[in-house]
Amino acid sequence: MQTTTFKTDEEFFVDPQRCIGCHACEMACAECETNGQLPMISVDYVSRADSPQTSVQVCMHCEDPVCARVCPADAIQKDEFGIVHSATTARCIACANCVIACPFGVPKKFEPTKLMMKCNMCYDRTSAGRKPMCATVCPSGALFYGTRAQLAAQRPASVAVNVFRFGRETVRTKVNVMMPAGATELIVD
Amino acid sequence: MFTTLNWRALRWATCWTMLLLLAVVVGSRSLQNFDGALVAYLFGTLFATFGIVYRYAVWLQRPATQLYWRRGWQLLFSRRFARYARAVATRAAVDVGGQAFIFRRSRARGIAHVLLAWGCLSAFAITLPLTFGWIHFTLQAGSTTLYEAHVFGFRVLTFPHGGLLAFNLFHALNWSSLMVIAGAAYFIRRRVTDAGQIATQAFEMDWLPLVLLVLISVTGLGLTWDYEFMQGRAHAFMGITHAITVILLLVWLPFGKFFHVFQRPAQLGVALYQLEGAAGPQAVCPHTGEPFTSAMHVADVKQVATEIGLDFTLASGGSHLDLSPQGKRAALARAHLAARTRSGRLFG
Amino acid sequence: MSRLPVAAEQLIAEFGPHLNYPPREGFPGRDQPDAVVPTHCCFCGMQCGIKLLVKDNRVVGFDPWEEFPFNEGRLCPKGVQRYLQNNHPDRLLHPLARVEGRGFAPASWDDALDRVVGEIRRIQSAHGRDAFAMLSGVSLTNEKSYLVGKFARLALKTRNLDYNGRLCMVSAGAGNKKAFGLDRASNTYADLERADVVMICGTNVSETFPTLTHWIWRARDAGAKLIVVDPRMTPIARTADLHLPVRPGRDSALYGAILRELIVHDWLDHDFIAHHTSGFDAAAAAVESFSLPWAEEVTGVPAAQIAQAAEWWGRAATSFLLHARGIEHHTKGVDNVVSCINLVLATGRIGKPYCGYGTITGQGNGQGGREHGHKCDQLPGNRDIENPQHRAYIAGVWGIPEPELPGKGLTAYEILEAIHRGEIRGLVSICFNPLVSLPNSEMVREALEKLEFYVAIDFFLNETARHADIVLPGSLHEEEEGTVTTAEGRVTRVRAAVTPPGEARTDTAILLDLARRLGAGDKFAFATSEDIFNELRVASRGGTADYYGITYEKIERQMGVFWPCPDLDHPGTPRLWEDRKWPTNDGKAHFNAVPFRGSGEVPDPEFPIILTTGRVVSQYLSGTQTRRIGKLVDQYPEPLLEIHPVLAARLGIRDRELVRVVTRRGSAEFPAQVVTTIREDTVFVPYHWPGRKSINRLTSGHLDPVSKIPEFKVSTCRLEPTGRTAPSARETAAHASA
Repeated sequence: MQTTTFKTDEEFFVDPQRCIGCHACEMACAECETNGQLPMISVDYVSRADSPQTSVQVCMHCEDPVCARVCPADAIQKDEFGIVHSATTARCIACANCVIACPFGVPKKFEPTKLMMKCNMCYDRTSAGRKPMCATVCPSGALFYGTRAQLAAQRPASVAVNVFRFGRETVRTKVNVMMPAGATELIVD
Repeated sequence: MFTTLNWRALRWATCWTMLLLLAVVVGSRSLQNFDGALVAYLFGTLFATFGIVYRYAVWLQRPATQLYWRRGWQLLFSRRFARYARAVATRAAVDVGGQAFIFRRSRARGIAHVLLAWGCLSAFAITLPLTFGWIHFTLQAGSTTLYEAHVFGFRVLTFPHGGLLAFNLFHALNWSSLMVIAGAAYFIRRRVTDAGQIATQAFEMDWLPLVLLVLISVTGLGLTWDYEFMQGRAHAFMGITHAITVILLLVWLPFGKFFHVFQRPAQLGVALYQLEGAAGPQAVCPHTGEPFTSAMHVADVKQVATEIGLDFTLASGGSHLDLSPQGKRAALARAHLAARTRSGRLFG
Repeated sequence: MSRLPVAAEQLIAEFGPHLNYPPREGFPGRDQPDAVVPTHCCFCGMQCGIKLLVKDNRVVGFDPWEEFPFNEGRLCPKGVQRYLQNNHPDRLLHPLARVEGRGFAPASWDDALDRVVGEIRRIQSAHGRDAFAMLSGVSLTNEKSYLVGKFARLALKTRNLDYNGRLCMVSAGAGNKKAFGLDRASNTYADLERADVVMICGTNVSETFPTLTHWIWRARDAGAKLIVVDPRMTPIARTADLHLPVRPGRDSALYGAILRELIVHDWLDHDFIAHHTSGFDAAAAAVESFSLPWAEEVTGVPAAQIAQAAEWWGRAATSFLLHARGIEHHTKGVDNVVSCINLVLATGRIGKPYCGYGTITGQGNGQGGREHGHKCDQLPGNRDIENPQHRAYIAGVWGIPEPELPGKGLTAYEILEAIHRGEIRGLVSICFNPLVSLPNSEMVREALEKLEFYVAIDFFLNETARHADIVLPGSLHEEEEGTVTTAEGRVTRVRAAVTPPGEARTDTAILLDLARRLGAGDKFAFATSEDIFNELRVASRGGTADYYGITYEKIERQMGVFWPCPDLDHPGTPRLWEDRKWPTNDGKAHFNAVPFRGSGEVPDPEFPIILTTGRVVSQYLSGTQTRRIGKLVDQYPEPLLEIHPVLAARLGIRDRELVRVVTRRGSAEFPAQVVTTIREDTVFVPYHWPGRKSINRLTSGHLDPVSKIPEFKVSTCRLEPTGRTAPSARETAAHASA
C-alpha cells in the first residue's frame, strides 16, 4: 500500500533573503499531485512601496504542530517522517482555527469545498525519494532540499536554524531557515 | 485517545448504552418481537454505541472542540433562534444531506459519496429497527397474501404479497447495497489511479473502510441471490460471512474512518459561528490593514491556545495571533531580514 | 488594404488572447504519460532544460529536468507554465484568409499558399524584389533561422530581411565584434562560481533570467561582491553589496568614470594590455575628463559608490561582468557595451578561469538566431553579407552565382519605416509581433495598414497578424526538432514532443512549400531538421560562429556543445580566449574610445521626466504566448507606472491613480505604483501589453547608429494625473487590450 522511499537524510532549508519573488515555486506547487492545481506555498511582497522584498512560506512542519492542536476535528496529523499533512477530507469542518493559529501563516481554507489544505512537502514526490516541486524549481536557492552536508559546503556563511520564538512561545520545526553563522533561533517579536 | 481511561466519557458511554438497551427491551415489547437470530448484530450495535459515545465524549473535551460545541448550542438558542434554526436546517439539508461541499470538490466525487453515504445510512435505518425488534413483519391472520408491518408492536401497514411496495420493502437493503457498491467502486478506482491519493493513502484509514463496505454489500446481496436462485443452499455461508463483516464494521465504527459520520454535524455549529462572526466586529490585520476573520474567532483561538498551553504574547504586549496569515509571513520575513541586517550582510 | 478586417474586439473574442488554465485536477493522463520528452523551455536565452509530459499527442504537464547542467531542474514561472501554450484554445488550426467585414475565414493550404505566391510575384514584378520584405524572430531554432535567411535570399530574393533580435542583442553583437571580432559570451556561467566580483549592468536578472540567479548566488556564497547597476532596485539589487542606481541614458559615463579610476589607481593589467590589446591610449584619453564629481553629476550615482565599485573591480583577482538590454537599448547601445568591455580588458580578466564577460541574450535563440543569417547584414556562421569572400563561400554552399545573392537590407524598424513611406509593399512575417515590440507603435500600425499584402506565419493570431491578408498556422517550439544556442553559446537540442494539431504545419514545412512554389525547390530539398542543420554546419564552417564539428549526436551525448567547434573530434569551446587569439584585424582585443554623448531625447521643460521600459518576470517579450497563460497573467495582470513617492507627491499622484503618460508620440494611461525603489527622475512601465496598454506607443524611434537598436530605455515624458482611481486589473483585462 504505502510503499515509501522517503529520504530521511534530506531536509528542507529556506532562505527568504535569496527569494527573488518570481513565483516559480507557487506555479510548480500547483502541479503537485496532492493538491490539485491549488498552490500551497505563499509568496508575497512584504511592503512593495519600500522594497521588492518577498516572503516565501512553505509549511515548516512543526514538531508539535499548532494547527493540529487547535483543530477541533482531529483532522491534522503528523506522520512518522514528521510531515504534517493536510486536514483529512473526511474530518475537516473548515472552521479555520488552524489558519488563524499557525504562527507561520501557512494553512489555507477553501470555503466552497469545506477544506483546509496545506503544504505536505510534496508528499507524492518526497515519499518516492524525490525533491519537493518548489525546491526543485526554485531558481534562487531560497528553497533548498538536500542534505545538511551539501548545504554546509555550499553556504559556509550561514547556519540552519529550526527554533522560532514568537513572543513567549518557542516553536521547533522540521524545516530549517538559513541564518547568519552563530544564530540559534529566529526571534519574531 | 484510548490509552488512558476517561471517566467522564466512560459514564456517558455507559449511560447511552444502557439507554439503548432499555429502548430495545421496551421497543420490542420485552423482547417479544426480538428476533433471536439477530442477537450478534445487537451486541455489535451495543458495542458500537458504547465506543462512539465514549470517543465523542473524549473528543468534546478537547478545548477547540468544546469551544465550537458550546458556542454552537449557545448561538442556536440565542435571541436569533429563529434565524439560526433556519440556517442550521438549510445547512443540514445542503451540506449533510446533499453533501454539496463534496460536489464542489468534483461532481463525480459528490455523486459517489452521496451513493456511498446514503446507501450506508439507509441500510442502517432499515436494519437497526429490525435488529432492535422495533419493526417486524407478519402475515395477516388468516391470509396468505397480505403482510402486516408492526412498529414497536403496533400494526402500521398492511400490504399485498407480490405488490410493488412489498417488492421494494423486501429488497430495500439490496438497493442500499447497490448504491454502496457503485460509490465504493468510484473511490477504489480513484485510489488506484490518482497520484495524489496513492501518495498519501493509508490502509486502515482509506482502504479498509471501502473493502469492508463492499464485502458487506456483496454478502448482503448474496443472501438474496441465494434464496432467489440457489434455493437457499448457500444460506449458512452467506449469512455467516455477512454477519462477520457487519459486526466487524460495527466494532470498528468508533475507531476508524467512519467516525467522521458522527463528527460531520459539527460543521453546522461552525456555520452558525461564522454567521455570528460575520455579523459582528472583524479582526483587522495590523500588517495588511484588511479584515481577515471575525474578532470573536481571533479571541476564541487565542483562548484555546492559552488552554492548551501556547502563549504568543509579544514583548509589545500584543499577540502574534493578531496578525493575518499574510501578516505573520511578513513578520517572519522581516525578522529574518533584521537578523541578516544585524549580521552585516543581507546575503549568506 | 491591411486595416483590421473587423474591430479588434471582435478578433479578440474569436482568436484571443484567451487565458489557458489547467483543469482543477490537472490534465488527465499526466501521471501516466505516453512520453517524457527532455527538451528546453521556449522562452529566454537561458534555455533551461525541462521535461514535457505528453499524453495523446498533447503536452499535459512538465517535470523538472534535474540532469541538465545549466539549470539542474530550476525554472522560472514562465518555464513552469510553458506547457500551457500547447493544448491552447487560441491555437490556429487552419490557414486563414482575411474577409473584409467578417474577420478571418478558414482556407485550404493550396488556396492560401497560391495566394501568397501570387501576391509576392505581383508586388515584386511591379515594384522590384526588395519591395517584398521578411521579418523573422529568434524564438526560432538555428535550423529555422538558417532556413529563413536562405529562403529570403534564394526564394523571395529580397535584401529586406531582418529579425526581432534587432530589438534585443544587436548592440551587444556589434560591440563584441568591435572588441573581440566575435560575438559570444566569453564564458559559461559556471565561471561565476569563483569570481571575486560580479558586476551586472542593466540586467534585471531576477525577473528576466531568474535561473541565472543561482550562479550569481554561487559566486556570492564563495565570497564574491555583487555590484548591480540599475535605475531601479530590482529583487537582485536589493541584497547586492553595491547598487548603483544610474540615471537612464548615462551608462557610458559611469563605466568611463570607473575606467578612469582604474587608471588613476593603476588597477590595470599592464602586461595584458600591452601584449593582447590595442587602442588603450585612445580609450584612456576619452575618459580623462570623467572625474568622479562629473560622473556623479551626470549619472546621478554618488561619487563614493562609483569609487567603491571601481576599487572592488580594480583590486579583484577574478571577476565576471554581465550586461543586458538595460545598457543595450540605447542610441548609445554599442558605446555602452564597449565601455563595459574596456573595464574587462583593462584588468586583463578574460580568457581565464573565473574571469568572464558576456551579454545575457534575451530571446530563446537570441544567440544562435543572430549567427546564421536572418539578419539584414549577415550570412551563416556570422559572416558579413558585404564581405566578398564571405559572399562567395555562402554562394558556393547554396549553389548560386555570387551576384545572385542579395546585399545588405534594412533593419527591422527601418523596414517598417520603409513600409510607411510606401517603398516596401509586401511583407511576410514569422515569429515576430512588431506592433507590440517595436517602439513608436502608432507608426508601426499605420505602416501595417498601408501594406498591399501581408502574410503572417504564427501559431496564435498575434496583434500584428490581425492585419494580415493570409495567416499560415505554424508550429510551437515543442512541435519541431532542432537546436538552439543558449546565452552561454551552448548549442542544445530541442525536441518535437508532439505534432502540430489540426491542419497546422511545422514552420519548416511551410517555408519549404513556399520555396517550392516560388520556384526554388531545388535549393530547399530538406527531409529533416537534421538535414538543415548539416547544411548549416557546412555554411558556418570557417566563420566565426563555426558549428561544423557539432552534430545532433554530439549535442545529445554532451548535453550541449559550445561553439566554436571547427571539426568533428573537437569537444567545443566553453571558455573563449584562453589562446589569446582574437579574430580581429590585428589579432588583439580592442579597446574602444567612448566619449560621452546624450541620448536621443533629453528631459526638457515640456517633457521633464525620463520614461524607461522593461519586463516583468511572468511575461515574455510581446506576450503572444505568455498573455495567453492564465496564471502568468494573474501574477502581473496589467502594466503599472512605477513612480517614486517624491515625484508622485510633487505631481499630486496617488497610488493606483490612473496617470496619463505623454510623450512626443502620444499618450496612454497607466495605474501608478508609488514605490521608493526607482529613481526620483525616472518612471518605469513594462512593455508586454498591446493596444491601449502598450507603452511602446510612446517610446521613441531613435536608433543606435551602428546597431540600429531602438532606444527603448530612454524616452522623455510628462505625467498628467487624471484624478481617477484605476479600475481593477480584472476589469481592465490588459492582456487582451484592443
